[in-house]
Amino acid sequence: MAAVTLSHVGKSYGAVGVLHGVSVDIADGEFVILVGQSGCGKSTLLRMIAGLESVTSGDISIGDRVINDLPPKDRDIAMVFQNYALYPHMTVRKNMEFGLKLRGTPRAEINEKVAHASAILGLESLMERLPRELSGGQRQRVAMGRAIVRDPQVFLFDEPLSNLDAKLRVHMRTEIKALHQRLGATVIYVTHDQIEAMTMADKIVVMHDGRIAQQGAPLDIYDRPANLFVAQFIGSPSMNILDGQFAGDGSAVFITDKGVHILLANVPAENAGRPAKIGIRPEHIMLNDSGIAARVIVTEPTGSETQLTLDVDGHELVVLIRDRVDYKPNDVLKIGLAQNHIHAFDADSGSRLTL
Amino acid sequence: MTLASAGERRASQQARRLSGSRKVGRISYWPFVLPALVVVSAVVVFPWAFTLWMSVSEWKVGEPYHFVGFANYLRLLHDQRFLQSIGRTLLYTVLSVVAPMVIGTLAALLFNEKMPARGLLRGIFVMPMMATPVAIALVWTMMFHPQLGVLNYLLSLIGLDPQDWVFAPDTVIASLVMVETWQWSPLVMLIVLGGLASLPADPYESARIDGANAFQRFWYLTLPMILPFLLVAMTIRMIDALKSFDIIYAITQGGPGTASETTNLYLYSVAFAYAEIGYGSAIAVLFFLLIVVLSLVLLHVRELSGRILGTTK
Repeated sequence: MAAVTLSHVGKSYGAVGVLHGVSVDIADGEFVILVGQSGCGKSTLLRMIAGLESVTSGDISIGDRVINDLPPKDRDIAMVFQNYALYPHMTVRKNMEFGLKLRGTPRAEINEKVAHASAILGLESLMERLPRELSGGQRQRVAMGRAIVRDPQVFLFDEPLSNLDAKLRVHMRTEIKALHQRLGATVIYVTHDQIEAMTMADKIVVMHDGRIAQQGAPLDIYDRPANLFVAQFIGSPSMNILDGQFAGDGSAVFITDKGVHILLANVPAENAGRPAKIGIRPEHIMLNDSGIAARVIVTEPTGSETQLTLDVDGHELVVLIRDRVDYKPNDVLKIGLAQNHIHAFDADSGSRLTL
Repeated sequence: MTLASAGERRASQQARRLSGSRKVGRISYWPFVLPALVVVSAVVVFPWAFTLWMSVSEWKVGEPYHFVGFANYLRLLHDQRFLQSIGRTLLYTVLSVVAPMVIGTLAALLFNEKMPARGLLRGIFVMPMMATPVAIALVWTMMFHPQLGVLNYLLSLIGLDPQDWVFAPDTVIASLVMVETWQWSPLVMLIVLGGLASLPADPYESARIDGANAFQRFWYLTLPMILPFLLVAMTIRMIDALKSFDIIYAITQGGPGTASETTNLYLYSVAFAYAEIGYGSAIAVLFFLLIVVLSLVLLHVRELSGRILGTTK
């Protein structure tokens, strides 16, 4: 096992830059998730760590060794691909043995490692099957088995659950997390699914347009998003954002562009009159008889909670409440915002403002 | 009327309706099948039956048909020229399968790589396939000429002794295989290129991470994955080589002596030069059986590999 350090890593294809000075410190045994929208450069970054893409600038180190120019096989990493990338003509057993065989590992050791990995993943009964005779979840387990037998310093996962159906995805999520706890390996995991990121990671790196938008522990990022992008990207349903400006008279009030007055806990004096956006997560809006009037647009019960889409003087707000309610469209109710959970962002740069 | 008898009547009515509709079906599909049936009977079934019928006769053109039973087949078993021609045909076939397979596959691997003017180079490589066999034969005959041919000139450039090529019994088969290889490697290349284009890219990335070098990636991934395509090419090549006639006939006519006389050429001589239609037919029947057996073997191998790779069910 080893730590991984990315220091000012950049990547460009000709004149097109896709990664711009990305720096991340990944501790030994840490589970780090790179998350972002399609095209943000997260998979490219992972492939650069794997050695499948060259590094244009900066350094990638595993342990204390810079690996920029090492071929993939010498980096002591194993990778699990989105499309599994199994060898279609080899049985599960041969798929798992292949890497070890190429390294000239003695037969007894190969057998032992393959038996160990297949036991961990529950693949024993499938060892003589061909990949096409397996379901998606089983194939993904074989791909993980192929990584485990290698006993690498770092595991790389490239959107491994994207091709699985929703239920299996939740199941495999738990399996991967349990596997990490069991092996204690360093894991770098790429996904566009922020729920995967929130639930599995020790550390999340949110990427946007080839740059790091924010990195940190999942709940820190959730509670204190560094900018508007992270605020909207992390969390489901996503944060409600309102445009407007702080009151000019220095009072702790935010006036939206549609004239709604929202009371805040505090507004620093230098922000008086400043145009801004405020954000509040759906679960931080409650029903409150002395609050703002809101008209119900849609009610979506999920069983454990109810998601309401409300109209507040032209602003559409999503609200998540734990009670079972039965509102009809156009019902009018009163809501209140939890003041200490309101986030504020600069209107232009989108960066977080202190309240 | 009881309930049971009502039920029976309904059942019998239904049966009548069903059989009626079946009768209509039987009449109506004939017009669709008939044209194909006529054509197949005329060009496949009849010639076949006629050949079988001739093969049990002693029949020279212009003389009456004379039934001889299996005498022609028994005579073949002791006909040295026939037995030698079988051996020659097999040798010619093996060489004409192996050489184009190797060269065509290597060419496919080469032309599968990104390179400048790839399309043009592929086009040039494919050109021999489009030429007329007799024209090819005339050109190669000139190239093989011991004194005037370009091949001996090329040998002299690298300091090798001149050869007699198709004019010597020892080298005639190999020389003819050269022509066959030159013309048919492109076909193998086209088939294998198609196979290479269909390969998934992902396994190659995991193989790089697993530590496979370029040769190991070819040996452990590419080769097994294109095996079904290689077997298709091999089957086509084998059948073509077994029945090869035009190039051999146009260049050597089976000579010198009978050194390049394959079964096809011997059959031609027996049937059309010596006008022994019955005996020639017997050769044709045995030769056909040989092709069928060899093709079945290859088909079986292909199916096996296809089942492993999932290309056939």
